Amino acid sequence: MSKIKVIPCSGIGKALGLISRETVLQVTNNLSKDEAETVCLAHVVTGDKDAVDKVKNQICITVDGCPALCAAKSVEHAGGIIKAKYRVVDEMKKHRGKDAGTGTTLTDAGWQIVDEFAEEISKHVTQLSKEGSNHE
Amino acid sequence: MSEKQVGVISCSGEECLGGNLSRLGTRKVMEDLREGKVVSLCLPLYIAGGDEERDFAKEYPVISVDGCNKCCAKRSTEKYSGEVKGAIDLTDLFGEDIVLSKVVSARDLCEEHYKMADKVAEEICKKVDLLLEDK
Repeated sequence: MSKIKVIPCSGIGKALGLISRETVLQVTNNLSKDEAETVCLAHVVTGDKDAVDKVKNQICITVDGCPALCAAKSVEHAGGIIKAKYRVVDEMKKHRGKDAGTGTTLTDAGWQIVDEFAEEISKHVTQLSKEGSNHE
Repeated sequence: MSEKQVGVISCSGEECLGGNLSRLGTRKVMEDLREGKVVSLCLPLYIAGGDEERDFAKEYPVISVDGCNKCCAKRSTEKYSGEVKGAIDLTDLFGEDIVLSKVVSARDLCEEHYKMADKVAEEICKKVDLLLEDK
């Protein structure tokens, strides 16, 4: 089974985008590096063949910072099979009142949000990997 | 906010170091070096049809900052809003081996990365200043 694609929006304007990016890097570089990988969203949305081939008909999880859902819409458009559309804005509801940082740097509270969010997504990756293996 | 503004659209690519550096350099210009004169445009939102981002790019000059030579930010701006007034491809600054090396978490950035991001910011500022003089 191919690795599960976990794709963030990496929005540049706010901490939400940086949290999406860092959460995904924590999943794909550390927690689930044998089961998951990321794909450059800019390549996907500009229709780069290599990037589109990586997501088309593949199991994907998207992690968007804001309700515009740019990553989810773009991956869907490229033919990815999206099993979960995570939003940082939803995750932030569990951490009301905390200052997560900016689009450049995260505070300790921001990194704590990243770590907890990444754990949750990593569990989902493991579950999807098991389901995929069972169907092979 | 200054009336004279320049948009900077950066790739933030997730698969290579060039994405880190383009993002960091752009943020530094926006927050610090040219605060109030530069607006960063969100590339995924821009491409996904963000009217506010596209309208800004039609009305104000835009500089693209790309982490690799696929130049997604530049090509997208040209497709949806017309020509870019300045383009930076980090491959030209640091070479392909460096920009295509593994993406780094913000947690693991070191002094060498920040120096490269400063270089990117410096290049952006040169182009921003030229555009602001022209207006």
